[in-house]
Amino acid sequence: MRDAAPLVVVADDAGDILALVQTALTRAGYEVVTAGDGEAALRLIRERRPALALLDVSMPKLDGLGVLVQVREDPSLAGLPVILLSALAQESDVERGYSLGASKYVRKPFSPRELVSIVGEILRAG
Amino acid sequence: MRSLRQVARPWLAYVVAGSVVIGVYFLLPFNTVGQAVLYDAIGASSVVAVLAGTTVCRPAKRTPWYLFAIGLAAFVVGDVIFNLYAYAWHRNPPTPSVADVFYLLGYPFLAGGFALLILDVRRAERRAGVIDAAILSTAFGIVQWIFLMARLVHSADRGLRVDAAYTGMDVVLLSGLAVFLLTPSWRAPAYRMLTASLAFLLVADEVFATNPNHYGNASWNDALYLLSYVVWGAAALHPSMVKLSTRRRGTRPRLSTPRLAVLTAALLTAPFVLVLQRLLHERPAVVTIAVGASLVAVLSLARLAGLVRAVDSSRHQLESQNEQLRAADRLKDEFVAVISHDLRTPLTSIMGYLELALDSDAVPEPERGYLKVVDRNSARLLRLVNDLLFVARFEAGEMDLTFVELDLGAIVRQAVEESLPRAAAKAIRLTGETDDALMVSADRGRMFQLLDNLLGNAIKFTPEGGRVEVRLHGDGDGDAVRLEVSDSGIGVAENDQLHLFERFFRASNTRGGTVPGTGLGLYIARAIVEAHGGTIGVDSRPGKGTCFRVDLPLVREPAPSAAEFVA
Repeated sequence: MRDAAPLVVVADDAGDILALVQTALTRAGYEVVTAGDGEAALRLIRERRPALALLDVSMPKLDGLGVLVQVREDPSLAGLPVILLSALAQESDVERGYSLGASKYVRKPFSPRELVSIVGEILRAG
Repeated sequence: MRSLRQVARPWLAYVVAGSVVIGVYFLLPFNTVGQAVLYDAIGASSVVAVLAGTTVCRPAKRTPWYLFAIGLAAFVVGDVIFNLYAYAWHRNPPTPSVADVFYLLGYPFLAGGFALLILDVRRAERRAGVIDAAILSTAFGIVQWIFLMARLVHSADRGLRVDAAYTGMDVVLLSGLAVFLLTPSWRAPAYRMLTASLAFLLVADEVFATNPNHYGNASWNDALYLLSYVVWGAAALHPSMVKLSTRRRGTRPRLSTPRLAVLTAALLTAPFVLVLQRLLHERPAVVTIAVGASLVAVLSLARLAGLVRAVDSSRHQLESQNEQLRAADRLKDEFVAVISHDLRTPLTSIMGYLELALDSDAVPEPERGYLKVVDRNSARLLRLVNDLLFVARFEAGEMDLTFVELDLGAIVRQAVEESLPRAAAKAIRLTGETDDALMVSADRGRMFQLLDNLLGNAIKFTPEGGRVEVRLHGDGDGDAVRLEVSDSGIGVAENDQLHLFERFFRASNTRGGTVPGTGLGLYIARAIVEAHGGTIGVDSRPGKGTCFRVDLPLVREPAPSAAEFVA
């Protein structure tokens, strides 16, 4: 059995952006599963045990910060890198994301190329 | 009536004619039939003048003027009856006589006319005026009663008791005059004339009351009565009399200095009278003074309450306006945040998919070129969104700054490096020159934004083949650092230099669509510099180039050894 490609969970309620991130990561050789809201993302993270999660901050049902909090409270998910994506660009939003334990806060709009390289860096560092 | 309308100024003609006749009155031998006839004629003419003026000028409300005419007519009838006793029937009139009845009847009509005129004034203004007038009338009443009326009323002589009625009527008249004077701020000539004639009548009555008991005898005091008639008639003939029955807007009762002086005098009347009686060795009229003073106190309290309520209501109004402004401000902030978020989301798709498309080899020219145009314009749109968001936050006092000690030289070098491709695209020579380790306390992101703005501007406004230079040096004293960004661009006209850092300002030579821009870049640059305790300025010569200077406080000077080491 060959080495499986690292699994990334991507969650965003905007379908276009979800597909954009999925395409960019798939092209870079990652396996990607997607969710359209925070609850689905949390379920996927618990079931699939990904190498990394990419979460949009503004999502229905449970927002990205809410998912992040639950992930950090779950000892079985310790060490899971979480990247937050957000169109909220105020410094206070960024600080809040980091204080809750985000590995990286990426502002929208972002360059897919740069996002892929950020994911690569974090996975290598982990 | 037709002929009256043809006279240019009927009121002036009437005043002149009336004055001449009054002059003639005093040239005639006193206490003769001729004098009596002239006196009655002047009185009667005033009634006609009031009626004529009312008909010609057509005020909105005529009733007050008809009441004036009736009051004046009653006086005239009284005059005639007295003269009939003296010159036709040759005997002294009885006390009281029918003439007294007519005289005393006149006062309420005159006072009623004034009251009706005042009813047309705005409520708040009227209330204050009426209270002030009541305070004044009470004070006048105290004096009138103690020094004139009490003696007359308590006298055994029936004639003197009739005189007391006149002095009482004077209090009524003074109330009318006071209300009229203190209520509105009509400054029409008709208003002044009415006030004057009322004052003439009042003074004449008071003079008469101090030395009564010669009805029918002519005296110099008659001049005041006659002037009162004439001026009253003139007031009705003056075109401005119509203004007295139109409701005035926008004036609030003011506590002007003269009004305050009059009110203060009224408030001090009771104690003053008490002292005066003491000095005159009279028995103090304790009851009158006590009742009068209490009335004045109650009225003053009512006036004060009115003032406090007016202040309260304007304060409430201000507070609710403030609340509305705050709500509008919150709405604006929310609006900006939502707009920013909702613009960024579609831009993420546009710019992201463009990048994916351009990264693949599947897009041939010229389509690749088209997509690059879309990409460039998307980037511009994003900058605009960011700039607008920055300005909105800055103006709401919410510029997030994270101050750290950082080496400004490193930031300058990074900014220059990142601008090189833009400069190269226009064959512009971009060079940087920095001292090392110039430590400033600053927000890294904002400092980079500042440099990016200044460099972007310089490249944008410099023609192909020009040059842009960035220099960063500590000043000699070691407490400031100076950053200069100069170019060989189109320059800024002197008139424009003053406004260059204003929001949405665009220099005259950049308008017209050839060079894109919103006029926010330098406004943001100044906001950033000032938030860091620095200053920004510009030197420019149109056609030659522009140099922006930024001075920032220096935290630590470069150690000479370090500079040498790096060099």
